[in-house]
Amino acid sequence: MQSLNVIVTGVGGQGILTLARIIGEAAAASGLGALVAETHGLSQRGGSVVVHVRLGEAEAPLVPEGEGDLMISMELLEALRYSSYMRRGGEVVTDKLIIKPYGSRPPSAEEIVAELRSMGLNVYAVEAASIAEALGDVRAANVVLLGYAIARTQLGKLLKAESVEALLRRGKGAETNVKAFKLGMSAGKER
Amino acid sequence: MSYPEVLAAPGSRVFTLGNVAIARACIEYGVGVAAGYPGTPSSEIIEAIAFAAKKLGYPYVEWSVNEKVAFEVAYGAAIAGVPSVVAMKHVGLNVAADPLFSSAYTGVEAAFLVVSADDPAMWSSQNEQDNRIYGLHAYVPVFEPAGAQEAREAALEALKFSEEQKHPVILRTVTRVSHTRALHVFGELRKPRLVGSFKRDPSRWALVPANARKRREELIAKWQRFSQLLSSSPLNSAEGPETSKLVVVGAGTGYRYAREALRRLGLLGEVRLIKISTSVPLPREFLAKELVGKEKAVVIEEGEPVVEDQLKLLSFDLGLQLSVAGKRSGHIPLSGELKVEKVAEGIARALGLSPPAREVMRPSISAPPRPPLLCSGCPYRGVFYSLRKVASKMRLKLIYSGDIGCYSLGINPPLSSQDTLVEMGGSLGLGAGFSHVVKDALVVATIGDSTFYHAGLPGLVNAAYNSAPMLVLVLDNGTTAMTGHQPNPSSGENLRGEAKRVSAEEIAKAAGADGITTVRSFSLEEVDKGVAEALREAASGKLHVLVARGPCVLTAMAEAREKGISRPVYTVLEERCKACTICYNLFACPAIVSTQDGKAKIDPRLCTGCGVCAEVCPFEAIVPESKVEKEWREMLLAKP
Ligand code: SF4
Ligand code: SF4
Repeated sequence: MQSLNVIVTGVGGQGILTLARIIGEAAAASGLGALVAETHGLSQRGGSVVVHVRLGEAEAPLVPEGEGDLMISMELLEALRYSSYMRRGGEVVTDKLIIKPYGSRPPSAEEIVAELRSMGLNVYAVEAASIAEALGDVRAANVVLLGYAIARTQLGKLLKAESVEALLRRGKGAETNVKAFKLGMSAGKER
Repeated sequence: MSYPEVLAAPGSRVFTLGNVAIARACIEYGVGVAAGYPGTPSSEIIEAIAFAAKKLGYPYVEWSVNEKVAFEVAYGAAIAGVPSVVAMKHVGLNVAADPLFSSAYTGVEAAFLVVSADDPAMWSSQNEQDNRIYGLHAYVPVFEPAGAQEAREAALEALKFSEEQKHPVILRTVTRVSHTRALHVFGELRKPRLVGSFKRDPSRWALVPANARKRREELIAKWQRFSQLLSSSPLNSAEGPETSKLVVVGAGTGYRYAREALRRLGLLGEVRLIKISTSVPLPREFLAKELVGKEKAVVIEEGEPVVEDQLKLLSFDLGLQLSVAGKRSGHIPLSGELKVEKVAEGIARALGLSPPAREVMRPSISAPPRPPLLCSGCPYRGVFYSLRKVASKMRLKLIYSGDIGCYSLGINPPLSSQDTLVEMGGSLGLGAGFSHVVKDALVVATIGDSTFYHAGLPGLVNAAYNSAPMLVLVLDNGTTAMTGHQPNPSSGENLRGEAKRVSAEEIAKAAGADGITTVRSFSLEEVDKGVAEALREAASGKLHVLVARGPCVLTAMAEAREKGISRPVYTVLEERCKACTICYNLFACPAIVSTQDGKAKIDPRLCTGCGVCAEVCPFEAIVPESKVEKEWREMLLAKP
């Protein structure tokens, strides 16, 4: 059976738990093993959030460092922070957004993308927040990235776009989310 | 929160949190009473049971004011023959430790499940305690699921065992069990048992010394029987060649890490692997059979070496020549949570193999830390800001005796208003201690509403009784926000509907505070005045209570959405902004950022419309961009 280690990250409040959960649910619904390890509480108040998603035959809930196949990140600094989870050749789908922590002088978007590339990662920087905002709901940025990842990365080999869509249709804000997902998919195909 | 999956039809395959699976097990078992106090990572258990109760009409479920009371409520019901569950985070069991020990002496009449959700790696806690040790100490068996995957089964087995033995049982989870989603197959719902009867028997239920001594003898006998019975628990098993001289023991969630690590080392199916999900007391007979003839054992478990130590004792008692590796031997780190790579390395080293090669790339630039923050629009921000400002104007040095809740986040600069932070309710006791000995600073004990009812009351009464001069700041936002907005005695509702509102001011008055002031958190002017008065009183040697009241902005926003009330967004008038930096550097709402020229700018996506920054700005440069609806202001400023 194929397996995939996915790191889902971003800033608390961006819809990271939801994103990870959709991946897990879609995988489970298609008969694939899935574990999604969340952290609640403190980290949700605008702090750094990382969720471990393991698809396939994994038993333990956490992705080992250096073994992430795919990262979906809603913010660039967080992509950088958890980059050591990734293996060489791993794929990173990330929003271009930088949310500056209080009192800090973070590196620029270009610097971060260049750094991730120099680590041997395939980086896809997407304007997900802007795409979602254009749709009228910035909270749908998570689904834009998911659509992109399914169209563009290894995730698409394990998850069917239709099964994700079906899940989105059942959830809150279905209409916007399905649109956002499709926009993400077409952005992913375009490249 | 909504948990529709907890009521999925029997036989459904449900992908959900370990905590929800535990809640389902309780419903399936027919539990009649569920109680708890919110705490990460345990809160979803009671929340999901409450969700089910709304639909089913059972079981009776409550958020109690603290873990001790929650424990007693469930314990009482179990004495009266109603199967019950109490759920809490690991440190909550410290609060409930007193009845825990007694419950082992008296036993119960129906199942009594005590869920302790431990938090290795301290994702949301002040320590890393392993509550399996309570099991050893209190003579209460401990079951621990082998990963989130087994959460439901382990809970059901624990309930069954508790009922059969008429004895409390601890179900110990960890963050990675409680908060990991996995696939579960749900079973049938048994008929709940909701009504009990109390069988009078003081020799059993009343632990005066004469009775307790008898119970103690029985307890010791029971404990030996438990170890035997657990030896045949379906939760414990072994795989791999019996003839192997090497054995790896995985306890609880440790089993998953052990199994994956063995696979990675190419040793799965080559060495004996034992799964233990009943860690306390150790199933000695089962293990004795397994350990005979073995030379080396490696124990993998989350937390302290609880199984490892018991295993060593067993091996000693059996006279085995077994060398045991694990946390004591340094093969597995004592602190933090388990990781597959660490476990694989530890097993390899223990067996004298070379650890598997790994490549971990680290970036050469680093991301600045991102600590969690008070939300934009949080009622606490203005209060903390005011405290700093007014105290400095009055030339008062403050000791901020802090507590546990969202306001703990005030620890971060620029608010920096939590100097100590030790445990629930600690602000008052510690604060009193400071007030009696520190003469060059004034104590401000800050405590949220939920924490105040939880463990603040004795501290307050004591401060009044023993005349501790200090300011007690009760931050009342009407909810238990940090753990997910559970209701508490300040909310006016409980898990079953409307409820009495217990007033902090009346409690303070009854406790004997010298003075009480109430302010509305979203009116900075009012807060400034109240803070000045309260500081003056406290500085003159009084015990003064200041209640700052204003809803958590997240609940206010949710209410506004529900009622169709629109919220304003605030904006900075560029021409009026003098780039003084106060709003983004000292008040520091996360929605306010600085522009190139040092002027302020508000991110409309983050602004919640609380309006406090408009009062913070000395140049009246911050104004609402859209109309401020009266209903919105009333919501923020209600309940003086
Ligand atoms: S959840 Fe509520 S109380 Fe907690 S930081 Fe946010 S606004 Fe403040
Ligand atoms: S009104 Fe001001 S203080 Fe309140 S959330 Fe908006 S920017 Fe922040």
